[in-house]
Amino acid sequence: MEDFEQELRHAMERQPAPSSLKRKIMAHLRRAPGPQSHAVLWQRLAASLALAAILGGGAVEWNWHVREERRKGEAARQQVLTALRITNHALDHMNRQLVAHSRANMN
Amino acid sequence: MAHDWRPDFEQLVDEHQSMVFSLAFRMTGDRGLAEEIAQDVFLQLDRSLGKIESAAHACFWLRRVTMSRSADALRRRKVRRMDLWVEIEEEHAAEAEDRDSPLGARLEQLLATLPEPQRAALVLRYQEDLTPEEIAATLEAPLATVKSHLQRGLKLLRAKAGNYLKEYIRGV
Repeated sequence: MEDFEQELRHAMERQPAPSSLKRKIMAHLRRAPGPQSHAVLWQRLAASLALAAILGGGAVEWNWHVREERRKGEAARQQVLTALRITNHALDHMNRQLVAHSRANMN
Repeated sequence: MAHDWRPDFEQLVDEHQSMVFSLAFRMTGDRGLAEEIAQDVFLQLDRSLGKIESAAHACFWLRRVTMSRSADALRRRKVRRMDLWVEIEEEHAAEAEDRDSPLGARLEQLLATLPEPQRAALVLRYQEDLTPEEIAATLEAPLATVKSHLQRGLKLLRAKAGNYLKEYIRGV
């Protein structure tokens, strides 16, 4: 039994790994992102979020600005319409007076 | 828990690549697959280095992950067990031709014909010289099961080797 086990132990000695194994492992590690690169990824993510927040804030600001401009435009339009209505009313009044004056002269 | 051990990954590869490759090869019987498994195991080690507490822990971790990855690889093959054994035996036969001892070469071929749990226990026992307790911890299996696999595997292997020797003596 002991001889058999000894023979088995001898038969099962470790075999040398292929010479390419270590090279492949190290090449893969150089390509793959390591733990330090994870920190860089987090920094990039944080920067992206900050940029998104700035752009989002800018968009909100721009939207508010456009609405304000529209509101001012609408107020100006209403003022112009009111002025036109007043002018129209004054012209009508003047016209009525002219007509009345003409009739009085004819009589 | 904090630990002072500062592992050098490249040095770990140098020290343990033979062990990892041999375990994977004896479990799968396929040099290409064994190299692939060994590569994956070391890449996983690189990602887990922070959890490794000592050189002995690294060795234990490598054995455990290699055995687990090899078992996964065998399951993924989805080949009938008998077909796989024949395949493994053929691979080992080609590999074992260079051996000095004909019995030693034949033993390695015969080992490949054993059921996977028995093969795993015997590989860890005779390649890595582990005790049954250490094998049980590596394979995360009950000690009684490991002892049973060792006894049955060894018995089966002896019987097969006995038949081979009878044929060998008859041939001489």
